[in-house]
Amino acid sequence: MIATSLLLATQLVVWHSYRADEQKALEQCVAVWNRAHADVQVEALALPYDGFASKLEAAIPRGNGPDLVIFGHSAIGDWARAGLIVPLHINDDAIAQFLDGTVEPLRQNGQLWGAPLAFKSLALFYRKDLVAHPPATTDELVALAKQVKATEPAGHYALAYEAGASFYHAPWLHGFGGRLLDDAGKPALDSPGAVASAAFIESLAAAELLPPESTGVVAAQLFNDGRAALTINGPWFVGEIARGVPFGVAPLPTVSATGKPAAPLVEIEAVLMPARGHAPEAAAAFALWLAGGEAARIRARIGRQTVAARAAWDDPEIARDPILSAFRAQLAATVPMPSSPAIRQVWEPLNQALRKVLRGATSARPAMLEAQKRVVEALRPPPPRAPGAPYALLFGVVLVGAAAWAWRRGRAAGGLPAARAQSAAYAYLAPAAIAMIVLVFVPFAVGAGMSLFWHDAGHWTFIGLRNFADILASRDAPVTDPLSFYFTLAVTALWTVTNVALHVIIGVTLALLLRDPLLKLRGVYRVILIVPWAVPNYITALIWKGMFQRQFGAINGLLAAVGLHPISWFSRFWTAFAANVATNVWLGFPFMMVVTLGALSRIPKELEEAAALDGATRWQRLRHVVLPLLKPALLPSVLLGAVWTFNMFNIVFLVSGGEPDGATDILVSQAYRWAFTRGHRYGYAAAYAVLIFALLAAQTFFAPKEETAS
Amino acid sequence: MAELRIEHVGKDHGATRVLGDVSITVADGELLVLVGPSGCGKSTLLRCIAGLEELSRGAILMDGADITRAEPRDRDIAMVFQSYALYPHLTVRDNLAFGLKMRKTPKEEIARRLGEAAEMLGLEKLLDRRPAQLSGGQRQRVAMGRAVVRRPKVFLFDEPLSNLDAALRGQMRVELMRLHQRLSATMVYVTHDQVEAMTLADRIAVLNAGALMQVGAPSELYTRPANLFVAKFIGTPEMNVIDARAAEACRLTAALPRQVASVGVRAEDLRLAPGGVGAQVDVVEHLGAEALVHLRVEMIELTARVEAQAVPRSGERVQVAIDPARLHLFDAQGARVDTPQSTVDSPRIGTAKP
Repeated sequence: MIATSLLLATQLVVWHSYRADEQKALEQCVAVWNRAHADVQVEALALPYDGFASKLEAAIPRGNGPDLVIFGHSAIGDWARAGLIVPLHINDDAIAQFLDGTVEPLRQNGQLWGAPLAFKSLALFYRKDLVAHPPATTDELVALAKQVKATEPAGHYALAYEAGASFYHAPWLHGFGGRLLDDAGKPALDSPGAVASAAFIESLAAAELLPPESTGVVAAQLFNDGRAALTINGPWFVGEIARGVPFGVAPLPTVSATGKPAAPLVEIEAVLMPARGHAPEAAAAFALWLAGGEAARIRARIGRQTVAARAAWDDPEIARDPILSAFRAQLAATVPMPSSPAIRQVWEPLNQALRKVLRGATSARPAMLEAQKRVVEALRPPPPRAPGAPYALLFGVVLVGAAAWAWRRGRAAGGLPAARAQSAAYAYLAPAAIAMIVLVFVPFAVGAGMSLFWHDAGHWTFIGLRNFADILASRDAPVTDPLSFYFTLAVTALWTVTNVALHVIIGVTLALLLRDPLLKLRGVYRVILIVPWAVPNYITALIWKGMFQRQFGAINGLLAAVGLHPISWFSRFWTAFAANVATNVWLGFPFMMVVTLGALSRIPKELEEAAALDGATRWQRLRHVVLPLLKPALLPSVLLGAVWTFNMFNIVFLVSGGEPDGATDILVSQAYRWAFTRGHRYGYAAAYAVLIFALLAAQTFFAPKEETAS
Repeated sequence: MAELRIEHVGKDHGATRVLGDVSITVADGELLVLVGPSGCGKSTLLRCIAGLEELSRGAILMDGADITRAEPRDRDIAMVFQSYALYPHLTVRDNLAFGLKMRKTPKEEIARRLGEAAEMLGLEKLLDRRPAQLSGGQRQRVAMGRAVVRRPKVFLFDEPLSNLDAALRGQMRVELMRLHQRLSATMVYVTHDQVEAMTLADRIAVLNAGALMQVGAPSELYTRPANLFVAKFIGTPEMNVIDARAAEACRLTAALPRQVASVGVRAEDLRLAPGGVGAQVDVVEHLGAEALVHLRVEMIELTARVEAQAVPRSGERVQVAIDPARLHLFDAQGARVDTPQSTVDSPRIGTAKP
């Protein structure tokens, strides 16, 4: 009986990206539901957060999507537009069971798209052993900060948080009356409120009330060490607080200048309904139940979630929880995360503006004006569609020409009979050729083809060579601006030349030293020098980045030990560039050293003996005999090294991250940002890639050829 | 030009003794040839003289000055390597001028010496070529030219003709002799080929396993070898060495003193004439003007040099006799034993000099 009903039961699949306690809570809810509903069985599937969106985008159109998905509300804009989700019907009584402010963000274009499960926003974390009462206004905050600066030892701060990140700055922005996007969805970074918020943190930084270079990791470290009394973070931070630290959570202070509360962005975690679900009514029922009081209580208790259902807050255990209550109190003063695609273009320019202001490189107003300009430029409409006919014609001509040329070559080489006679050779070549075609040529062709299109949220428009024209005419920015192709090209050229020169000099010098038979323990030195080569360069980059960190890095520690002033490595171009170069040189010299050692072993010993007898000193032997003979052997390696360095994404991206403001970015990391950070401009980034390829191909083609004389 | 004195020189390579205790004096203007089988230490000795290897024992003096610890560049020595060691990235001209440039010689002086050397060795037309564009013989001459322009006190040659074919080798040997005559330079020449040694040398030093076997003029080594090793090493074909008691038994020789363990006789000193001991002709090697006849006397094998007219046929029975005055006597240790009989006053050197 039960078996039959189970067979007839509707199976629902829910996708989510919860972990740890939240995952346990969800699974508990699912268990409770399944016990009570034999006819609708639910299965919860945990997916990694990173690939979530793309998995949905791939699966739903094919009908392979889940019945429900748990995600933040800010995805609704894109997914609704793309037709990946359908509205969820909730009647007004049901809506009333949720806290104010948790349902509105789910409403778009007049329709409701999900049932709210929980809300997540920033709040103020404070250490109970350092402050009795957290500051309620910004004036109190500033006063506290000044007091800490005056009385506590250096390195102690009142507040430490990720000040340079737009998401963490948003509370101040809203508190000063500004908005990220106005009602029409246009960026509003140049509004008086936004500028005032930037001026606020400028004044904090100028008075040294904030730690310099404060990343999330640094802020957490300071808070845990007791060197910061306050930090601004979200519910996820609870897990990062060290054991034994007495902490509390409070709503963010009110901005004294405006009387408005500092209002963080809030993300409503909701159950959304994908399109093409096979049991929409059952799914809707489960969705509402999951959002409702009973399940919310489980989620709040076990998953420690700040749930949207009012009923759960009636539970004394949940109501008494200080942390949950604090976040709930904060909810009243939050601004929903905008869900329009325009918001994606806001983050990077605003981040840059904030970092500039914090560094003291510019003042608030010009920085915000520049950020606004950048966002507006990034949001410009796509170029007009180009006629496809001339390109198709050109492509056809090239294809026919290539075919004709290939045919004539084949005929000259003996034609089909000759090919058949060598069929064994072709058979041996075939696997490698197929692999090359599939792994190299096809992706290359696709990438090159992509460069002729404009991509915007899934829509591809053919625009011919317009991308190339825009890049080469430096349309995005003046030539001296890091966003310009030419600026980045110059930086890349400088980067390549500097690195290769240092690699060669250090590698050759060490090789010459190593081959000296007087050097004992040669084997040991060899191994030590090859270690940099053996460690994966991703790890090397992260280690060096840590070493160059302003407060805790080893380099500044060394400088301090010899009495020098610590340097903020990533706030100026030359120091950030030097940090990148140092890392890359450490990584790259073993290659040159090993190549040189090999080349040296092929120089007959007698040549140097003859030179010695001829009267040459060691230095003269080196200059007139060894180095000239080394040159042709090193040339291919230098060329290879130059190409690798030109495209060395890992180091530039991981160590300096392009700081300051993208100045140390090289062509390949800029291309990455165009593709993945600045609104998925795949076509534009592909054009960048084609240009990089063309540059490197030209370099290889025009490189000095080796001499053929032995 | 200088006198070179090698005094009690020894070299160890780890546990191996490469050179034992070698003492030789090379007179001013002399061409000394170091000869011996592979591994005898002749190249090592040469490299020690050049300063490319360190001595373990002993000293080297040039014109009285001790150069044992001096750097190669300070010894005023030029060396011609077996592989020529020409600088591949320089033209012939720059190769020749290299040493002079290193010593900051003025340009006119370089040009003058270059011209001289080029004329001496026939390199005028090759000056702008690279070593890769030269033949083996041309490269050899450039290597020699490079040594010549420096006008060093001593020339060293490390088997310079080994890489050349036979015809070229003969030509170059003559060139070298001419060079030696023209420059009157002190030269030390290393080779494993005893023909080269015999033709070129003023004196020969024979080395074996790091020890000096004998030093002397070619004729002296040929007619009065100091030991069995030198006796067998010098001379083509190899000297016939017979166990003394066996020789007595076959009546090839008269009774010999007890201390004599073996006797040697050169191929040209065996006479095929009636009145000797009966022998069976084994094989005959015809060389044109003469022939090498391989005989057997009972169990003893001998090789005789015979003029073309008198050559016997294979399988024939002949009679062979040894002139007692031409016998070389050696004791059980291989050292020469001198008896009144074996005074060699008229050296018959055979076909040693072409």
